[in-house]
Amino acid sequence: MAELPPSSLSGELLHTPLLGELLHTPLFGLLLTLASYRFAQWAYAKSNSMALFHPFIVAAIPVIIVLPLVGVPYEEYRDQTALISFLLGPATVALAWPLYRQLHTVRSVWRPLLITVVIGAALASGLAVGLAWWLGAPETVVGSLAPKSITTPIAIEVARVTNGDVSLAAGAVAITGIVGALAAGPVFRLLRVEDDRVRGFALGLVAHAIGTARAFEFSEKAGAFGGLALGLTGLLTALALPWIWPWVSSLMG
Amino acid sequence: MIDGLLILLLFQFLGEVLIHLTGLPLPAPVVGMVLLLFALMLGVPGMGKVSEAAGALIRHITLLIFPLGVGIVLQWHRYQDNALALAVSVVFGTLIALLLVTLLLKVLLRRSSHGGGGDSRHG
Repeated sequence: MAELPPSSLSGELLHTPLLGELLHTPLFGLLLTLASYRFAQWAYAKSNSMALFHPFIVAAIPVIIVLPLVGVPYEEYRDQTALISFLLGPATVALAWPLYRQLHTVRSVWRPLLITVVIGAALASGLAVGLAWWLGAPETVVGSLAPKSITTPIAIEVARVTNGDVSLAAGAVAITGIVGALAAGPVFRLLRVEDDRVRGFALGLVAHAIGTARAFEFSEKAGAFGGLALGLTGLLTALALPWIWPWVSSLMG
Repeated sequence: MIDGLLILLLFQFLGEVLIHLTGLPLPAPVVGMVLLLFALMLGVPGMGKVSEAAGALIRHITLLIFPLGVGIVLQWHRYQDNALALAVSVVFGTLIALLLVTLLLKVLLRRSSHGGGGDSRHG
């Protein structure tokens, strides 16, 4: 590589056999993914954790720019990063841990919380499905939106069952979280909510992990209730939707 | 860390096995999550070792998910026909759900506080 003239270095490098081959190995995809994520974490901290600068959005930008530039198709990138996506499975199992830890803290109010999870999870999913169906979206799209209020790893698993599209489900979940976190302040002011249990639980139920992060900004207590709502909503939706979906699907005709 | 990963993979595997045997239409990792939750609640020894690996995976969940999410932009041609339905469903669906859930909780928790004299004193 030393004999390349400096002026055309970047252009030539891409066409050297070695680097050309490297682009088509998991090493490239993993390196790009990890570097983008690190950059996004840094940007999120710099913005004082503004929902709009959520790492999901910022980390996507370098990948979206670099892949077309070096000529790696998205499908190939997805295969290169299969190792990372695989970890979504263990990450879903891992949600049992915070759920277990938080079950103890809310024993006295479990009944109203449980009622809210059942009604709220149905509302969050039903509104998404109903609105998309009303606007004429096909089943792949509607099925991707059904789990949009639950935490991403579970949502991905559910979307596979509801004939959804994994990419679309991941995006819908992230944007739902961001909308929920941004709307929380105005909504709580409008409804004159000052109870941190209400703030935290509502945020965790509707806006999963991103909402829970927002809840922690109200207080530690709000954050704990958010985490509990996230776990319960994800669990309930994942257990109920696969049974209900065939019926919903036949209604949509 | 390794112990925790071992526990997580084991329970995901148990979830797969259970689904294979019963034919339940549920995601295997979710079944694994329920099984692990039961194991924790029953106090099965050694289960607490899951905390480190579980914490690390959950903290970096965005890293695990965004490579799938970029597909929306890079394959936009597959979704653009439904852009309006997507935007309305995600933005308005979320806003309405947040409003209704907050209202419901406000009413339910106020009633339970009146009945039992508040959360912290009650339990």
